[in-house]
Amino acid sequence: MNQKEIKELIDFLIEKDIAEFELERGDVKLRVKRGSQPLAVTSLSAPVATVVPAMQAVPVAHPISPPAPANAQAASVAAPAAPAGEDESAWQIVKSPIVGTFYESPSPGAPAFVKPGDSVTVGQVLCIVEAMKLMNEIESDYAGVVAKSYVTNGQPVEYGQPLFAIRPS
Amino acid sequence: MRVPHSCEASSGHRPVEALCVFPAVSDNSSILPNQPTRAREAPDQALRTDSRLGHIIRVLSENATIVISGTKLASEIQTSRSEVWRLVQQLRGFGVEITGHPATGYQLASVPDLLLPEVLTPLMKGTIFARDIHHYFRVGSTNFEAMQAAAAGAPDGSVFIAEEQIAGRGRAGHTWASEPSTGIYVSLVLRPQIAPADALLLSLIAGIAAHEAVNEVTGIRPDIRWPNDLLIGDQKFCGILTEMNAEVTRVRYAVVGIGINVNQADFPEDLRPIATSLQIANGRRHSRVALAAALLRAFDSEYRSLMSLGAAQARLAIFERFEQRSSYARGKHVHVDENGGYDGVTAGLDERGFLLVQTDGGMRTVLSGSVRPVDIKE
Repeated sequence: MNQKEIKELIDFLIEKDIAEFELERGDVKLRVKRGSQPLAVTSLSAPVATVVPAMQAVPVAHPISPPAPANAQAASVAAPAAPAGEDESAWQIVKSPIVGTFYESPSPGAPAFVKPGDSVTVGQVLCIVEAMKLMNEIESDYAGVVAKSYVTNGQPVEYGQPLFAIRPS
Repeated sequence: MRVPHSCEASSGHRPVEALCVFPAVSDNSSILPNQPTRAREAPDQALRTDSRLGHIIRVLSENATIVISGTKLASEIQTSRSEVWRLVQQLRGFGVEITGHPATGYQLASVPDLLLPEVLTPLMKGTIFARDIHHYFRVGSTNFEAMQAAAAGAPDGSVFIAEEQIAGRGRAGHTWASEPSTGIYVSLVLRPQIAPADALLLSLIAGIAAHEAVNEVTGIRPDIRWPNDLLIGDQKFCGILTEMNAEVTRVRYAVVGIGINVNQADFPEDLRPIATSLQIANGRRHSRVALAAALLRAFDSEYRSLMSLGAAQARLAIFERFEQRSSYARGKHVHVDENGGYDGVTAGLDERGFLLVQTDGGMRTVLSGSVRPVDIKE
């Protein structure tokens, strides 16, 4: 998980007014608590046995990227700064309609359906989320440019988890 | 269904294990153990059956003991005698045994076990599959055809069925001498009024329906490997792949593709350990028409029950039916090819239908990985 992803996760939590959030992924653990107290983020690189109840059903033992040093992650989130000149509030977020595994291409080794910077049209396939041998092709509901992809190929995703941001054209 | 080019766990690509009894080809390119391969990329040959072919077979079947003149056939299907000859030659090319020629007239040597709409439709009365059956003698992938048709507005209950499926064959260098009209390759277009998350139940009811149909027609009682491979012993003879187009809250359409090895007499040597057919299992040829009809009727029953009860009400009963038919549901030592791979003992399904596996490190949930038995060395 890189610094930008953590920042976006926190933005998402603020947007949804979620007070407390904990995520475990492979050997990355991330806890966010907000509210009256100052924003606090802890990130550990050691495996942790406890999981908050809401997350128990989530199969997340999948390392999405080599964990960055914990202090670096925490530091970046403590001082969030928007990328220069980009109004992210205009982005439309494409979310996963099911729990499953995210695939960026129609088959292994094939080019990704889309990558950041690509123009997309309404109805264009962005990715596949697969579970129980059900392949769910995710289409864009927006015309625009792919501003960001939030997940990596092969990563498990939750219901409602952001997959792509589209900058509407 | 697409003919899966690669399918067993040992190598890169996973399911479209569709029919997949087909082997894993070695492929080291994949970092991901389970990446799907989708029907969409298989626009190969789609030869929608000329409805006159079915018509000729129906006329010949209805008059199976006598020779029908080319003139009579031509008037029945409203074409010329030379066109009848051309169509008869085409049918012979697809393996239909017709004796005679334009001068003598034609006769069916035996009533063919073909999955023609003219044959299936009357057997589908009272189901959602009675209206719109599309047949192919040879097709790249029935799932591909069904997805295309669904995107273009094909109604709930449209059926795409083929005598032979060729997509993917030869990919990675595997040549599969597929004999036509030995298996069932069928894809169903569905427009279920359920949430996308509940559409996962379609994967389970498809496996249960195939199990029911096989048991009813052949007497064989197969095993189900989660979520929906059908096995006899450890050998696979039926694979199912569902594709869905959904918004966050609504399923636009889904296509359930089912492939069954029915009358294959043998498989290439590399497939023999993992693949089987119903004929190999009990030494008898089986009517594909009877099996296809039983499959569609069983699916119709499961599907309509799910639609009328709703996912919340139907869920537990579906899980129970699955567990009654699957040795993989509970207490089986398995290896799961997901998240780097792990071993454990199956512990039933969770509330969504995902398989639970008890491991040394705690309970884990299988989303999409393939599950394989592990021999326990005491």
